[in-house]
Parts: sequence; structure tokens; C-alpha cells
Amino acid sequence: MSVTLTIDGTEVTVPEGTLLVDAAKRRGTDVPVFCYHPKMKPVGMCRVCLVEIGRPARDRATGESLLDESGDPLIQFGPNLETACTITVGQGWQVRVSSEKAIQGRKEIVEYLLTSHPLDCPICDKGGECPLQDLTMGHGSGESRFLFDDKIRLAKRYPLGELIFLDRERCIQCARCTRFQDEIVGDPVIGFYERGRRLEIVTYSDPGFDSYFSGNTTDICPVGALTTADFRFGARPWELNSAASICPHCPVGCNLTLSTRREASNAGRDVVKRVMPRQNEQVNEIWICDKGRFVHHYARSPERLTSPRVRKNGKLVKASWNEALTRAAEGLKGAASSAVGIASGRLMNEDLFNLKELMAALGGRAILVDSMAGGNLIQRYGVGVGSNLGSLGKRDAVLVIAADLHEEAPIWWLRLKQAAERGTTLIVANARATRLDDYAKHRVRYGPGEAVQAALGLLHLNGGDPELARFEGDRALKSAARAIKRARNVTIFFGQEGLNYAGTEALARACALITESKGRVGKSNNGLVAVWPRANTQGAWDMGLRPEPAGLHRALAGAVAAYIVAADPVGDDPAAAAPFEKLSTLIVQDLFLTATAELADVVLPAQAFVERAGTFTSGERRVQRLYPAVGALAGSLPDWKIVANLAHRLEVDLEDKAAPLVFERIAAAVPDYLGLSYDDLAAVEPQWPEVGGADLYFGGTAYANKQGLGVQLAPRGAGRPLKWKAPPRASAGKDLLLTPVTVLYDRGSALRHSRLLEGRIAPLQLILHPDEIERLGLSEAGEVEISWDGRSERLKFAASTDVPPGSALVPRGAGLALSDPTPVTVRRSNS
Amino acid sequence: MLAENYTQEIEAILAKYPSDQKRSAVMPLLFLAQREYGTLTNEAITEVGELIGLQTTEVASLVGFYSLYHDRPGGKYRIQVCTDLPCALKGAQAFADELCEKLDIEMGETTPDGQVTIEQVMCLAACDRAPLFQLQGPNGFRYHEDQSIGSAMALIESLRVRGQVDRAHRLTAS
Repeated sequence: MSVTLTIDGTEVTVPEGTLLVDAAKRRGTDVPVFCYHPKMKPVGMCRVCLVEIGRPARDRATGESLLDESGDPLIQFGPNLETACTITVGQGWQVRVSSEKAIQGRKEIVEYLLTSHPLDCPICDKGGECPLQDLTMGHGSGESRFLFDDKIRLAKRYPLGELIFLDRERCIQCARCTRFQDEIVGDPVIGFYERGRRLEIVTYSDPGFDSYFSGNTTDICPVGALTTADFRFGARPWELNSAASICPHCPVGCNLTLSTRREASNAGRDVVKRVMPRQNEQVNEIWICDKGRFVHHYARSPERLTSPRVRKNGKLVKASWNEALTRAAEGLKGAASSAVGIASGRLMNEDLFNLKELMAALGGRAILVDSMAGGNLIQRYGVGVGSNLGSLGKRDAVLVIAADLHEEAPIWWLRLKQAAERGTTLIVANARATRLDDYAKHRVRYGPGEAVQAALGLLHLNGGDPELARFEGDRALKSAARAIKRARNVTIFFGQEGLNYAGTEALARACALITESKGRVGKSNNGLVAVWPRANTQGAWDMGLRPEPAGLHRALAGAVAAYIVAADPVGDDPAAAAPFEKLSTLIVQDLFLTATAELADVVLPAQAFVERAGTFTSGERRVQRLYPAVGALAGSLPDWKIVANLAHRLEVDLEDKAAPLVFERIAAAVPDYLGLSYDDLAAVEPQWPEVGGADLYFGGTAYANKQGLGVQLAPRGAGRPLKWKAPPRASAGKDLLLTPVTVLYDRGSALRHSRLLEGRIAPLQLILHPDEIERLGLSEAGEVEISWDGRSERLKFAASTDVPPGSALVPRGAGLALSDPTPVTVRRSNS
Repeated sequence: MLAENYTQEIEAILAKYPSDQKRSAVMPLLFLAQREYGTLTNEAITEVGELIGLQTTEVASLVGFYSLYHDRPGGKYRIQVCTDLPCALKGAQAFADELCEKLDIEMGETTPDGQVTIEQVMCLAACDRAPLFQLQGPNGFRYHEDQSIGSAMALIESLRVRGQVDRAHRLTAS
């Protein structure tokens, strides 16, 4: 049903239930707003969206429309102005946004807001992109009738935590920030305190403002009350240039805008001043997580490599590119098919393609280090084109299994939470409680390491092989299976928690079979999404790299030379150093001198994402483009170029001129990417809500997307039938199954080199169930000794009732060299 | 700890609400905590939040909103004067200022004998009877409307006398 009304004399037709403020915006009329935000429920708190509304008059007795002398419907205007953000449109209404009365009403609200709002725009970070500033310029009266000395003075630099600062004088009490935290992300860790003019924003969480999404409140704050520790007093918005990028830290692929400025502090070169969300309603909408926003400082770390190094007399010394590449080429040439290329999903498609081509030409292998299977199945059973978590509704279901999305892919978590609140059936299956459970309709709990059994149980109940009956499971699993059966569309997110490589392979198959059982492979909002450990793990699979199921040591057995790009296997596990030491040539290409690089014969300095052009392929298989935001660090080169330069010395022809040209080769050689070009990836279309303009319908400072929405690849479809695989049994016997769980703030090189998030890095500690702590006779404080495979480690421990019986948890990448779930013996530490 | 000292009271309060709507019990639990601790300290607020699965910040927001909850120590009695616009137009601001002057304390402070705290609060929903205040004491609270400095000072004096009588009682009893 649609409704037709007149706004400032122009007729407009919008769907029934549209808010007046949105209807006006769709027609191109800005009704100014502060508290209203198109992503949140209207509250009508700030009163600035006042308009005059005329409604068709009706005869009270008969209900008939009354007509004026000329036979048109008689329109009656009420005596008062009304808030356009809380009222849904009505048929035949006449709305005046720009009438003298409406403007006068808004003027009075602005005058009132300014009674205590400081006019400190010249030193305010929001100045230049502030709707209050714009509205004051447009609507404000030149002088105030209020008493100057009656102005309330409040704290101007109040840290809500170490990331977000509050200027209490600037707050206009619109509650956008508190509503965002409560309504959108479910972290009500900031709130209002007191009432009226004494109202203040407070936080009582520890650490302050404890939420992975806190930075978004500074985007949607319509004044300069909330600012980030990162950008505060950093630059004026009008001094900034911007470049489009893609967040390189998880497989969501959030669209970013990097704001840059040339600075003397960097010898007149560009510096990234802030990382902002760029609107992509199909990926991240207008949000990003705090890791993506604040972790970029590693790119400017003084520890970045600025020159190649080669080993001479046992020592790594600086060398020219020519010398280093020649040395590396000699090593690879000598090794030929005994050369191994090792890379991670941190690289872009262009880098991975060149690396794969080089290794293929040498006859060696290209190994992906990310220890999770399923990329080949995603190519067949991935989500269909047009899939969008933002479009999921009541008839759709989502299964999340063996993943903790809040930690692994925060924006997927946020969007699934919102989908669940719109009525999508959310099924969360895990060995332990995770934060998505709060929004799940079905919570399937399985034993430690038994994700595959649970998935096969779900498959059985959806009409799989009768042999699967033994995995049927409990009532929760049965009702979850029924929900999958009933749903029209089913998206499945699978992760690697509690599984080793073989386990993830079996899980991916089981999930693919569930997709197949629905018979909607390739349709939008149907299919698999892998919760990869890296931003571009899917791209690595697509470019032809494969993990070595038996582990890296197997890949290195018999190898003479290894070329390691964007991976640090020795840093991940110092005990894995031996096979690298035995190589006759070890080449390492990275941003930093990693533990692996310290063992290398040749070290090649690569560029950070802020300096790069290239593409990532997200977990939803959307290929998206990054643009260089700042000049490259002197001495470094993009990975694809280093690989190509190396290839030339081995007489292998690879593209070495520009990233788009490498992509042309990808588009000619990789079937799923056939015919794609950088231009396709740069295509945009209008998105709702509008953000990023100088309008008064203020959606926040997230940037409008002018540089590309990316292209979602079509899955190839089922093809030859899949068979399910007997799940490997995870048995810990008398021991505890120690399960690494992914945490957002781990001790990875990005976080270690970014001072801002230092205080939030997850501590290395063993997490035990309180019953286990009692059974082991552990005192409240102290350490435990864990041992496995002849190794042992002393760790602090903490208690949590979420730990499944028979297991213990440890944050992944926090310092313990363990990536697979492993049976360990836990003992009281003697000292 | 509330959970340990008031197990039964807490159960009785929680029993009044559906088990999936525990958060509804926040108000009576805050009163319980206030009775236990005198004022609602951060610890008290955190405890209440833990009892019903609310963030400390959410509970604190309620404490900040309502004038019947106290987040800082005060006297035995609290005189809470509404000075919002309608009351101010009827002289409540001048009344509050003068009362402070008479008692020789600043707004928000307590008399040296620990008997009376004067506080300024938001709307008490009785604008037509301004100047008015809400008197909070050990036996609950009550409105005192259409006040003058004379009537307010007489009330304060009677509270003081009552306080001395109470103390005398306690002394003879012990």
C-alpha cells in the first residue's frame, strides 16, 4: 500500500508506514534532525524536525471527507507544529516544511539548544561536518535571549574510556549514542544520568565504554560531544582527503574511507588521520568495529621494514632490492620444484595470484597457512548473488556453527542480531555459550569438538542419509532442524572453533549438504559463509592456494627453499622453527621483522593496506577494491610487485606494472572471476539512507560510497554429489580438551603495533570451569601448568561457567602456541 | 552482600515478576539496596545489576533519574525542592536559595548536625502548590506544599527536636 501526500507543494508517493521525515527526504527535502536516525527507532526528543501538517477534514458524524468551495478536500492545519520524525504519513496530507511558521519553530528549538551548547566550533572536532553548526548558520538567530552567565558549565574532556572522549557541554541530549548502544549493538554500557539540564552521559563499565562498536557513536553524534581518542584534535575535516579501502582484519570486508592529510611530521607526506565507515548496505551498512577503526597505526610503526635484508656471515644486513631479489631468485632456482610458497589470507588477490603463478612455474606448491577448510565448497555452495544479511526477514533462517561471531566478525554479529530482531530464525550451535545466543531462537549445545556431529544431526533431520540417524541429537537440535526445514532461505556460517583442519573439512561438507538438502543452492540468502580467520582467506582459495591438511611441517618436508609471504609460522609457534632452519633458502616477505623473518636468508619489505591498491574477496564472496590512501613507506613495495620482480629473475612472466593489470590476468585465468574488472568493482548505485553529505537529515559522518560496492561472485552450484564424512573423534580421555577461541583483540602484529588498543588485548590465560578449578584444587590466584605432547607451559587462569565440561579455553593468538584443540594435562603450578 | 543478607526479600521481589522479565524488579531491589547501604554506591548498583542481568550503567541511569534514590550520602532528612520553570515562576528558586542561606549551607549540602540536606530536584508534579518540597526521612517521604521560609524552618526545627528526642531515647535505652 502506498500513500500520496504533498510536501511543500510537491506530490510524493511513499509506502504506507513511512515516517514523514523519510518521505520528505525521498522527495529531496531535508527536515533537520538531531535525535532521529534512519537506522534507529524514532523518539522525538530534540524537537527540531517541526513541520506543519494539514490533514483532510472529515465530517464527524458521517466520516465523509469535507470539501471546500472549489470541491477539493478541505485541509485542516492543527494549531501546533508536529515532529516529522515520529509521525507516519497519511493519505492526502499537506505538509509544510519550509513555511514561516515551521522555520520559526525550528529557530526556537535551535535557540534553546544553544542556551548551554558552547560556541566552540573553532576548536571542535565536529566543526565542518556538524549539523548543529550548519543549522545554526541557517536557522539560528544572531543573538540569544538567555542570560550568558546562566550557561551551564560541564566537563569538557571526560574520557568514557581510553577510546572515546565526552565533552559534556556539547551534548544536546539526543540519545543517539545511548540508543545505538542499546538498540543496535545490545551493549547498554553508556546511559543518561540525572534529568533536565543536568543530564549527563555516563558509563559504569570496566573498561569504560566497553563495547566493540563504540567508535560508531562518534559518527552518529550530531555534535562534537563524542570524539575518538584517535582523531580528537587530529585535524579539521575540511583539510582531509579521502581514499576508499576495505578493512583487512576479518572476512566481513567492511568498506572504509581513510581520511588523510599531508603533514610535516611525516616529511610532508600523507598520514592516515582516521578510519571511517563507508556505506555499503549489503556489507557493513554504515558501521565498523573498533578494531577496524583504531588498529591502523601499525602501518606507521617505526618498526616497519624499510629495506630488504640478506644474510651475510650469519647476520641479516640491509641490502639493495637488486641484491636481495637476485639472492632470493638463486635460492628458488636451485630448489625448483622443491620450493614451497607459503602465504596467508592477509594478502590481496593480486599478490596471491602472482605467488601461485610463480610457484606453478617453478613446479612447487603454494600453501595457504590458514588452518581451516572449505574454500572449495564455498565456491560451489557459497551464498547466492544478492545475498544481504540486511534483507533477511521472518521467513529466513541462519545457522551459526562453531564460531563466535562477536569476536571473529563483529559486523556479521551485529547484522545477525538485527536480523533476529526482525524475526529471522537464528540458530546458534556451539560447545559453549557465545554472545549471539542472546538473540538465537534455537541454541544447540554439543560436546567439545563435536560440531560435525551436530551438523550431521541437523542434516539427518532434513532428509539426509539414514546412516546419519546416530547423530540425531537432543530436543534443541531437533527443533533447530525443523526450523531449517520450515525456513524459505537458509544461510549457514561455519567456523573452526573446537576443530582441527580435518574437523573443519567435515563440518564444511556437512553444512554444504544441509544447503543442498534445501534445494536452493545458488539462490540469494542461501548457502555457506566461512568464518575465515583472515580477510582474504576465500580469495586465497579462489587464487588456487590450498592449506596442507597435515600441517606446515609436512609441506616443508623435502623442501629446499621456502618463500613465506604475510605469514609468521615461527612467531605463531617457536617450536616449529626447526624445519625452517634446515632450508637452504628461506625468503620472508612482510611488514615487520617477524620471528620467521629473523631466521630468513632474504627479507623483503612489503606495503601495508593503506598504501595499496588491490582486491579482497569477503566471506560472502564479494570482491571489493582497495585504493591507496597514502604514499608507500620508502623502501617497501606491494607484494604482487615483489613477487613479479622475483619471477622476472627466474624468467617467469608475471604482471609487474599495476594492480589493475594483475587483476586483468586474474579475470582471464580464474573461472569465477572471468571478465571482472576494476571498473565493475567500482560501480555504485544509490543507497538508503543517504549519508555523508552536507544535508541536515544527518545520518552521521560515515562516508557515502562513491568508489564501489564490489561484486558478489555467483557460486558454481552443486555439481557432482557430495558425500558426508565421518567426523574425527575428539577425545581427551582423562585430560582436558584445550580449545583455542578467537578473540577480537589478540596479540597479532597489527594490535601489538597499535598503541591505542593496547589496554584491550585479551590476556593470555587458561579459562576453566569453576568445578574444574575446584577439582584441581586450585587457589583463587596463581598459575597452572599445562602439558601436552611433551611440552609444558605455565599460565594464569580465570573462571567461567561457559566452559563446556571436559574442556578448557584459551584465547587464540594470545601467546600460547596452539592452534588446534589439544588434550592437555592441567596441574597446579608448584611455586 | 545483598544476595547473601537478603536472600528471602530478593526472592520475594523477583517472584512478583515473570522469570524472563527479571529486569522489572530493578526498582524494588534498588530500594532494598538503599536501605542496606544508606546510599546507592557503585558496588550496590553493580550488585543489583547482577541480580537481574542488567548492565551497571543501565541501573545507574535509573538511580540518576529518580530523586528517591540517593547516590551520595546526606543527612537524616532530605528536603528536595523542585525549581523547574513553573515552580521557579512561583518563587521556588528564591525560596530554595533563601532556605540554604538560613541554614548556612550550599545547595546539595548537609547541616553540620547531620540532620538536613537540601537538594534541588526536577519536577515533582505539583506545580500549582509551589514552592514545595518533598521531605525524605527514615519513615518514608511526604510533600510539603505552598511553603514559605517560616513554615520550612519551623518544620526543620521540629525535625531537629525529634532527632534529639530520638537520641535521648536511644541513650536511655542503652
